[in-house]
Amino acid sequence: MHIGKANEISRRAFLQRSSQVAVMGGAASYALGLAGLGEAAAFSAGSDYKALVCVFLYGGNDHNSMLIPFDATNYARYAAIRGGTGETGGGLTPARADLAATALAMPQGQVLTNDMAYALSPAMPRLKALYDARAMAPVLNVGPLLAPMTRAQYDSQSVPRPPKLFSHNDQQSTWQAYSPEGATVGAGGRIGDLAMSSNGNALFTCMSATGNAVFLSGQRALSYQISTNGAIAVSGVKNGLYGSRAAGDALRGLLTNANPHVLAADHIAVIKRSIEAEAFVSAALQPISLATSFTPPAGTNSLANQLRVVARVIAARSALGVRRQVFMVSMGGYDTHDAQVVNHTRLMGQLDFALDAFYRATVELGVADKVTTFTASDFGRTLASNGDGSDHGWGAHHLVMGGAVNGGRFYGVAPAIALNTPDQVGSGRLLPTISVDQHMATLGKWFGAASSEIASIAPNIGRFSTADLGFLPPV
Amino acid sequence: MLDLSAQDTLPLSEPQPDTAEARHLTTATAPALALALAACGGGDGSGSGPSTGGGAPPVIVRKPQSDAEAARFVLQTGIAASTADVAAVKTEGYSPWLDRQMAATSSSGVAWLAARGYTQVDTNRWFDRSEPADYMIWNQLLGNAPAARTRAALALSEFFVVSTDGIDFRWKSQGMARYWDILAENAFGNFRTLLEQVTLNPAMGQWLNTLGNRAADGRGRVPDENYAREVMQLFTIGLYQLNPDGTPRLGANGQPIETYTNIDVQELAKVFTGYDFDWTGTTRIADPANAGQFIDSFDYTQKPMTADPTKWRSPRTTGYHSTEGKSFLGTSIPAGTSATDSLKAALDTLFNHPNTGPFFARQMIQRLVTSNPAPGYVQRVAAVFADNGKGVRGDLNAVFRAVWLDDEALAAANVTSNSFGKLREPILRLAQWARTFGASSKSGNWSVASTADPSNRLSQSPLRSASVFNFFRPGYVPANSNTAANSMVAPELQLVNESTAPAYVNFMQRVIAGQEGATNDLSVPYVEEVTLAHDSARLLDRIDLLMTAGQLSPESRTLIKGALDATVVTEASDAATKLRRVQTAVLLVMAAPEYLLQR
Repeated sequence: MHIGKANEISRRAFLQRSSQVAVMGGAASYALGLAGLGEAAAFSAGSDYKALVCVFLYGGNDHNSMLIPFDATNYARYAAIRGGTGETGGGLTPARADLAATALAMPQGQVLTNDMAYALSPAMPRLKALYDARAMAPVLNVGPLLAPMTRAQYDSQSVPRPPKLFSHNDQQSTWQAYSPEGATVGAGGRIGDLAMSSNGNALFTCMSATGNAVFLSGQRALSYQISTNGAIAVSGVKNGLYGSRAAGDALRGLLTNANPHVLAADHIAVIKRSIEAEAFVSAALQPISLATSFTPPAGTNSLANQLRVVARVIAARSALGVRRQVFMVSMGGYDTHDAQVVNHTRLMGQLDFALDAFYRATVELGVADKVTTFTASDFGRTLASNGDGSDHGWGAHHLVMGGAVNGGRFYGVAPAIALNTPDQVGSGRLLPTISVDQHMATLGKWFGAASSEIASIAPNIGRFSTADLGFLPPV
Repeated sequence: MLDLSAQDTLPLSEPQPDTAEARHLTTATAPALALALAACGGGDGSGSGPSTGGGAPPVIVRKPQSDAEAARFVLQTGIAASTADVAAVKTEGYSPWLDRQMAATSSSGVAWLAARGYTQVDTNRWFDRSEPADYMIWNQLLGNAPAARTRAALALSEFFVVSTDGIDFRWKSQGMARYWDILAENAFGNFRTLLEQVTLNPAMGQWLNTLGNRAADGRGRVPDENYAREVMQLFTIGLYQLNPDGTPRLGANGQPIETYTNIDVQELAKVFTGYDFDWTGTTRIADPANAGQFIDSFDYTQKPMTADPTKWRSPRTTGYHSTEGKSFLGTSIPAGTSATDSLKAALDTLFNHPNTGPFFARQMIQRLVTSNPAPGYVQRVAAVFADNGKGVRGDLNAVFRAVWLDDEALAAANVTSNSFGKLREPILRLAQWARTFGASSKSGNWSVASTADPSNRLSQSPLRSASVFNFFRPGYVPANSNTAANSMVAPELQLVNESTAPAYVNFMQRVIAGQEGATNDLSVPYVEEVTLAHDSARLLDRIDLLMTAGQLSPESRTLIKGALDATVVTEASDAATKLRRVQTAVLLVMAAPEYLLQR
């Protein structure tokens, strides 16, 4: 069974009615169900597997430096706005010749706005190869919207805007959970709510390798955190504390015994889950050995480390008892107000390496067409430059990657390279033409959500013309 | 206007604290609080009542009624408790004792770095390293810097956030030390002064891009908006118009009212243009590692940034401050206004905004006392922010006193409330441990490493937040939680997950036993505790009082005592055996819910 809208509403009503401070009898109702039987399956029965992987780029990715106009006309417009001189680059603009190796060929029949041709950042040769192999596609100008909106409607405020545009924390939350900071139910968690009954061990439906984020929290689905080294045991509980088994047992009691305080109870629920799941997860991951290397040519790559443990979990899917999983990984540093050329190029290189390694790992595991990876970020950035960086925007270009992706082409409408066109709201802050709801609905549909369930994944979807952007195949 | 009500898509209203209960508890408790009388004009005259002129009414000095109540106050207003502190609060009363703590002057982090050799140009190349910033702040937190001031400055460092991780100019550690010194020096000064010093500090300047920010050039370049946005959203007024009690004002449509638009941000951004390092007094020092090379002295990292281009490293006659008119939040600055005058007008506007008091008050209460303060508590502190009783706005001495001496903070009944209090943040747990058990630095350098690693350490390290949004958000609500079900918030829980929760316990297990690399410069002898080791009940009494203010539950006590007694320790036992029992007791207390929670 799945959580439908009616249930969602009644649960909210219940929560709002419960004005008394009380700890729900309930830490138990969120307990593991390790090896328990799934409830009646929402998704098709069987032993197939699918995973969604959200790669969150914290800080607001400058999509303008990830997908750069390469045709001479649009490149010239771009360079004029972003400090370039001729085709030699300058300011935030790379030299045009440096884009040739990562230029993305337009497929037969696709024509973008103003005959735009894009190149990926020169730091992204691997993703260019995946585009050529049709395993990657850019989705143009995606962002939060409550309803479709024109520039005129934005100016007249005749269509409501998502609250707190341009604010980091609130737009992170809005991308992840459709509302500003304080939201407790995210898009990934909503998908997890539908999927968890497909899994023998519901706890592992939504897994984060990057710390607490609302994206993976559902009405029922929990976000289970896994470190890049796998599950972490409480050493004293597992091995005895300072040589004493009795002290280790006392430690377990202190950490896990019920407590009537609201905040303490929540802390206890987390560590109780952690202790109960650790041995199981560790045993499942222990035999996994990946041939694919996630070690970068130089330096460190946190995203690659996170995606490595995600790949290991996917490899252990049978032992973990899961058929549908939603993952979240992230990298930070995208708030490129200054030193953008150096910093953003480095970030693009790290993203390129990590995504490619992950894709190759899914090929190694034979699940390349079962795993779809997508980028998300606080917001896009201004096309206008502040000299050596850019500012907070709204819509942004994103990437989807995987064997199932109908790649090697673009989705959505390319915005004009200009500061005064109706597709932006000033300084090149893009007015989204694809909503986050549509993006998530497309991913969720491929994942197995029925048409009737899409609205529970993407609450604003009813106001948009389509719930399927077409970058994933019909199921 | 599109009707959105047809679908269930709008966010739930913001969590509201369950205020009725908290107030009820406080009210019910008030008569039980014993009040001691002190003669008018006697003592240090720092009582809370009016005491000017002859014949004024007697000053009422409120005193704790037990060691536990005293320890609780010491821990709320500082970092760790000692038996001497407990006795002093009981004798002196809350307010006089607190005034004495707050009067202690700060000990400069920059001066300490200099004294330890970290401002020298030598082959260690401290000018390019971030470790001294960690050593400096750990010295402050773990050592003996004045506790009340240091605790307040730490709270401020999580409000006016700058991270060492975001600084890459030469002498970054020394620059961060100066930033810390600004917070500590002004912790009990005035908010307006603090706001200006924070704004012009070079570390903040680089962190949020005022450093090097320039006016529009007419060729597409526009001012960087970062500081303008965050000084409003995070440092002063916040996103929503607030009532005096910190709750959001609602518009005619029942929704909160946003405080500013992106136009305000763009306009305010012009104010923060034209700034760069003040290079006056900076000298060139021969680099001992590279013959013929020179290193600039660290002076430029210590001075406020300047918009006067004659003081820059490469002096100019004309600067880069925007000469355009600047219009934001109802304030209009005419074209041609200087950088200095523009800054004054802008910061005055933010300082005097009705939101700033309640916005700041609520977060300081959250950092210091409780995650879910009653609106009345916020309102009382905000009122002091607005007027300290002498017509002064922004008096932080008065504001912090109001936070710490409020009935809601002191009410003994809140010790057993199931909603009052907050989780202790991980770095404060480490600091409390170190101070309680007498940690010293073997090298004298307090060379404790960053504790940010989420899998092996604390998932938090002082002055190393990942972003300007701090380690955790004031409105964080864990999903599917008791916190959410009770419409509460739990900021510190943002750091707690299935990896970090065990990592904390494992880290402390190693730290307490002296087996952790990050803290191997610390020496902790547990002198007092070892003398009690053979008597598990007395040992536990002491640790309980100093670490949890005597709040261990009978169940937790039974668990811990049973574990200690499972290994026989007598007065004749060897030192290692006694020490092991002490370490076991400390770790178990630090894992107990009554310790993780501060209430």
